[in-house]
Amino acid sequence: MIFPTEINLLDISAVILLVATFELMVSRGFSNWVNAYRYQTIVLAGIVALIASITNIWELYIVSALTFGIKAVIIPKILFYVTKKLDSPIKLEIHPYINMKLSVIIAALLVAMSYFIFLYLDIKSNEIIQVFLPVSFALFFIGLFVIVSRRKALNQMMGLLTIENGLFLFAVSLTHGFSLIIEIGLMADIVLGVIISSILLFRMSITFDSIDIKNLESLRDD
Amino acid sequence: MSEFSITEPIFGISQVLLLVVLSPLIVGIMRKTKAKSQKRVGSSIIQPYFYILKLVKKEEVVSDQSSWIFRCNPWVNFATTVSAAFFIPVSIVYSPFGVMGDILLVIGLFGLGKFFTILSGLDVSSSFGGLGSSREIMFSVLVEPALLITIFVIAIFYGGTNISMIATSANEISFLASPGVIFALIAFFIILMVETGKLPFDNPLTHLELTMIHEATVLEYSGKSLALIEWSQSIKQIILLTLFVNIFIPWGISDNFSLTEISFGMLFIIVKIISLGILITLIETRIAKWRLFRVPDLIAISIASSMIGIVFFFI
Amino acid sequence: MLENFHLVYAIVGFFSLGAILGLFSRGKSQHVYLTYIPSIIGSFLAVILSIVVFTSEDIHITLSSQQIFNFEIFIDGVAAFFILIIGLISFAVSIYSLSYSKKFDDKKNNSNLGMLVNLFIISMILVVASNNIFFFLIFWELMSLTSFFLVIYEHDNENNLKSGLTYLVMTHLGTAFIMASFLFMYAQSGSFSFDSFRDAGIIPDYVRDVAFILAFIGFGTKAGMVPLHIWLPQAHPSAPSNISALMSAVMLKIAIYGIVRYLFDFNSIDDSSNYLWWGLGIVVIGSVSALVGILYALVERDIKRILAFSSIENIGIILIGLGLSVVFASFNLTSLSILAFVASMFHTLNHAIFKGLLFMTAGSIHYSTHTKNIEDLGGLIKKMPWTGLMFLIGTIAIIGLPPLNGFISEWLILQSLLSVFQISSTILQVSLAFASLALALTIGLAAATFVRLFGISFLSKSRTLKAANAIEVPRFMLTGKAILASSCIVLGILPFIGINLIVTAFNLSYTPLSPFEPLSIITEDGKSFASLMMPAVLMILLSIFVSIFVFVKIIGGKTSTKKYNTWDCGFGGLSERTQYTATSLAEPLSRLFAVFYKPKNEIINSFYSDQNQYLKKSIEVSYTTRNIFEEFYDLVLSFNLYILNKIRKIQTGKINAYILYIMIALLSLLFAMGTGIIE
Repeated sequence: MIFPTEINLLDISAVILLVATFELMVSRGFSNWVNAYRYQTIVLAGIVALIASITNIWELYIVSALTFGIKAVIIPKILFYVTKKLDSPIKLEIHPYINMKLSVIIAALLVAMSYFIFLYLDIKSNEIIQVFLPVSFALFFIGLFVIVSRRKALNQMMGLLTIENGLFLFAVSLTHGFSLIIEIGLMADIVLGVIISSILLFRMSITFDSIDIKNLESLRDD
Repeated sequence: MSEFSITEPIFGISQVLLLVVLSPLIVGIMRKTKAKSQKRVGSSIIQPYFYILKLVKKEEVVSDQSSWIFRCNPWVNFATTVSAAFFIPVSIVYSPFGVMGDILLVIGLFGLGKFFTILSGLDVSSSFGGLGSSREIMFSVLVEPALLITIFVIAIFYGGTNISMIATSANEISFLASPGVIFALIAFFIILMVETGKLPFDNPLTHLELTMIHEATVLEYSGKSLALIEWSQSIKQIILLTLFVNIFIPWGISDNFSLTEISFGMLFIIVKIISLGILITLIETRIAKWRLFRVPDLIAISIASSMIGIVFFFI
Repeated sequence: MLENFHLVYAIVGFFSLGAILGLFSRGKSQHVYLTYIPSIIGSFLAVILSIVVFTSEDIHITLSSQQIFNFEIFIDGVAAFFILIIGLISFAVSIYSLSYSKKFDDKKNNSNLGMLVNLFIISMILVVASNNIFFFLIFWELMSLTSFFLVIYEHDNENNLKSGLTYLVMTHLGTAFIMASFLFMYAQSGSFSFDSFRDAGIIPDYVRDVAFILAFIGFGTKAGMVPLHIWLPQAHPSAPSNISALMSAVMLKIAIYGIVRYLFDFNSIDDSSNYLWWGLGIVVIGSVSALVGILYALVERDIKRILAFSSIENIGIILIGLGLSVVFASFNLTSLSILAFVASMFHTLNHAIFKGLLFMTAGSIHYSTHTKNIEDLGGLIKKMPWTGLMFLIGTIAIIGLPPLNGFISEWLILQSLLSVFQISSTILQVSLAFASLALALTIGLAAATFVRLFGISFLSKSRTLKAANAIEVPRFMLTGKAILASSCIVLGILPFIGINLIVTAFNLSYTPLSPFEPLSIITEDGKSFASLMMPAVLMILLSIFVSIFVFVKIIGGKTSTKKYNTWDCGFGGLSERTQYTATSLAEPLSRLFAVFYKPKNEIINSFYSDQNQYLKKSIEVSYTTRNIFEEFYDLVLSFNLYILNKIRKIQTGKINAYILYIMIALLSLLFAMGTGIIE
C-alpha cells in the first residue's frame, strides 16, 4: 500500500488563493462579495506568514498580522457600516455587461495569460517568486476585468481591492517585504480610499436612487 | 500481467458484482443522512433493496403510444452502466479488464444510456417526458466540454486515459505534490453532482415540473423496468463515486494481488465511498435548487477550473 | 497488369453506358433499371478496384503523351481509398435510387436523373484518378456542372433555382482558386503533371505557401468550411435525396482528397517550422467550422438542412485531425502525426457512410410523407419500423456512441488532441488544449441535434395527417440503407478493418493490427496511454444483457404487461398538440447560446373586443432564430450591389460619354509616357 509523503505547501497555497479569487468573481450579492474578500485576505495573510517562515524575516510576520487586521477585519466593517443604509436591490449585480459564465472563462484565460507573461519575462527566480509572481499578475488582471465588466459601482470597488491585493502579493514576493513603514503607509491609503469611496457611493445613491454607473453618464454637460 | 490466469477475470467480475450489489446500500445511506439532518427518522438503510425487489414482482403498465425504444431503454441502461463498471479499478490499482477500455469508453457508455433515456422520454408523447428530455439535453451539452477538459487535466498529470494508469500514478504522485490536480478535483466534483442528479441541479425527490430532470424522463416506467432504472441510477452513482475516490484520493489502494492488501483496499474504498456520499448529502442539505439558467454558471466554473489546472501542469 | 487496366476501363465503360442509356430512353418506367443497373455494377467494380490497388501496386496508365493533353491515370493508395468511399456509397445509393426515382415518375425528364447521376459518379472517380492539372480540372468542372444540374432538378420550386445559382457561383469561385494554385505550381515546375510537383526541390517555399492558401480556400469552398459554407445548407436540401446523399457523403470528401494530396503528397512536411502555421490555420478553421455548423443545425426544422449543417460540422472535425497531423509532423512527432491522420481519414470514411445513410433515410421519410419539416412528423417508428431502425443506427453512429464506428473515429481524434502535451512549445500546448473545448462542445451539440431529429420525427404521436398515413418504403430503398447501416456496425465492432485499410492505403509506417489486439496508444516511456478493444466491450455488453434478463425473470417471476394511455394527470385527452415540438426541445440551448442565434420570442394576442382584454380569442407564440452568417453574406452582397450601382453611373448609354472616356484614357496615357512614368 502506498501513502503519500511529499507535500508542496507553496503550490497548495497558490491554488487556494486562486480558488478564493474565483469565489470573489462569481459572487453576485454584496455580503457574498465581502465575505469572499475576507477569505482571500486571510489566505493572503497566511501566504505572507509562510514566506516569513521560509525566509526568516521577522518583519513579514508583522506585515501578515497587519494585513489580517486591516484588510480582513477593519475594511469589511467600514464597508458594511457605510452601505448599511443602501437598499439591497441596489447592491445586487443582476445584469453585468459580460454575463457570469463568460466572465469565469475569461478569468481562466487571464490566469493562463499571466503565466505566459511570467514565462516570457524570464526573471531570475527562486521558489517563492516562481510560484507567487504569476498569481499576483493574475489577481491584478482579474481585478481589472472585474472593474470593466460590472455595472454597479460598489462591485467595481471589489475589483479595485483585488488589484491592490495583487500588487501587494507582487511586492511581497519580489522583495520579501518592504520596510515596515511603507507597508503601514499603504494600509492607511487603502483604508482612507475605502472610506472616501463609500461616502461618495452613499451620496450617489441619494442623488440617483441607484448605484448603476450608467447614471454617471447623465452628468455630462450635453 | 504475464500469463493468462483464470483468477484475474473472476476477480474482476466479483468486483463488478460488489459494486452492483452495494449501490442501493449507498443510496440508502445517503437518504438516511439527509433525513437525519432534517430531523426526520427516515427509512432504513436497506430500504432501496426492498423497493427494487417489490418493483420486480409488479405488473407493468406500458403506454400505448410508445415503441420498442421505450421497452428497451431500461435494459440498455443497465447493460451500459454495469459494463462501465468493468473498467474501473475498485480495490486494486489496475482492473483486470482495463486494457479493453479507458475513461473515454466509460463516458461513451454512459452517453449511450443517456441517449436512450432521452429518447424514451420523448417516446411517450407526454409533456413531462419532453420537458425532462429537453433539460437533460441542455445539461449533457454543457457537461460534455467540462468533462473532456477535466479528463485532459487528469490525463496529462497522470499519464494516460487508461484508468489503471491513472490510479497507479495518482497513488504515487498524489495531489499534495502537484496541486494543479486540485482544480481537476473541483471540476470533477461539480460534474459528479450534475451527473448523479443532486441539488442544486436537480431534485429527484419532488415530482414537480420545476425540479425534475432525471425523474421526468422515467416517469412512465413501472414494474421490472422501473426497478432496473432505479438500480442503474444507483450503480451509475457508485461508479462515479469510485472513480472520484480512486483518481483523487486513492490512498490505501493495493497495488498487487495479495489477499491481505486486497481486503484492506476493499475496506478502505468502502469507507471512502460512504464518507464521500455523506459529504455530498450534507452539501445538498445546505443548498436549494437553483434556477435552471443559473446552472450553466456553475458548469462554467467547472470548465474554468480545469483550464487553470492545465496551465498549472506546464509550470 | 492486364486485370487492373481493364478494371479501370470497365468502370468507365459501365458508367458511360448508364449515362447514354439515360440520355436515350425516355418515358417508360423500366428505364430506371436501365440507368441504375450499370451504375450499381460500376460502383461495385470501383470497390473491387480499390481493394486490388491496396493489395498489389499502384496503377499508372498513360493514354497519350502530348504536352498538355497528357491523359494520365494514376491510382495509388490515396486515390484508391477515396475510390473505395465513392464506390461503396454509390453502390448503396444506386440500389436505393432504383425505387426512389419512382417518385419522379410523373416528370417527363426523369431519365435525365439517371444520366446525370452516372456522369456525376464517373467524374468524381476520374478526378481522384487524374495525375495531370488539365484533366483534374476538366473532371472537377464536370463534377460541379453535373451536380448543379442535379441540384436544380426539381426546378418548378423557385427556391431550388436560387440555391442552385448560389451553389454554381460558389463552386466556380472555388475552382478559380484551385486553378490559380495549380498555375502557381506550374509556373515553377514547368509541367502540368502532378509528378513534377512531388519533386520537393524545385519549388521555393514562398510559392508553396501561396499555393497552399489558394488551394485551401479553393478546396475548402467545395468542402464547405466556414465562412465559405453558404451554399451547402441551400444546395443539399434542394437536390433529390439520393443526390444529397452522394453530394454530402462523397463530393465533400473529394475536396478533402484535394487537401490531403496537396499537404502530404506535394510537400513532405518535416522538422522545419515552415509548415507549422499551415497546420494551426487548418485546426482553427476546422474548429470554427465544426462549432458553427452544429450550432445552426440545432435550430433548423428541415431534415435535410439539419443534415447539411451537420456535414459542415463533420468536415470541421476532419480538418481538425488533418491540421493536428501537420502540427505534429512539423515537430517531428511522426507517430502522433500518423495517429491524427488515421483519425481524420477514418472519420472521412465513417462520415461518408453514416451521412449517406442519414440522407437516404431522410429521402425515405420524404417519399412516404411528402414533407421535410420535422414539426409535421412523429410516430413514424411504428409506421416505418425498418427505416426507423436504420435511422437510429445512423444517429448513434454520427453522435459517436459505442459500439458503432463514429465512436472509434472520435476516440482517435480525442486521443490525438490529448497527446498535444508532447509538443515542445508551451503556448501551443495550452492553446490546443483550450481548442479541445470547442471540439467537446461540438460533440455535445451534435448529440443534442440528432436526438432532437430522431425523437421528434420518429417517436411520440404523429403531429399531422401526413405522418399518420405513412407506410414503409419499397425494398430497394431499404436494401441500400441496410448496406450502409451494416458497414457502420461492422466498422464499429471491428475497428481493425478500418485502421488496417487506412494504414495500407496511405503507406504509413505503422504495423497493422491483428483482430485480437487492442487499439492502444503508447507513450515514449513505453507505458500505455490508452487502449480500446471493441469486440470485448461488445461481448461484455451482450453478456450483461443476457444475465440481467435471466436474473430479473428468476427473481420477479412472470409478470404481465398492460397497455394503457400515457399518464395524463387525470385530465384526460392528451393530444398530439401537447407534445414537445422540435423548437421547444432546442429552446433552452438556443437561449444559452443566444449570441449566435439572436432568438426572438413574439406573443401576439387577439381579442374578441378591444375593450375587454381578458377574453382572448387566440394567442400566437412564435420563436424565431436568425442565422448570423447568412445575414452577414446578405450584408456583404448588398454593400457590393450598392457600390456597383454607384459605379454603374458610368454607363450612361450615350455615345458622347463613351468617346469622352476614350479621350481621357488616351490623354492620360500620353501624359504618363511623356513624363516618364511608363517606359
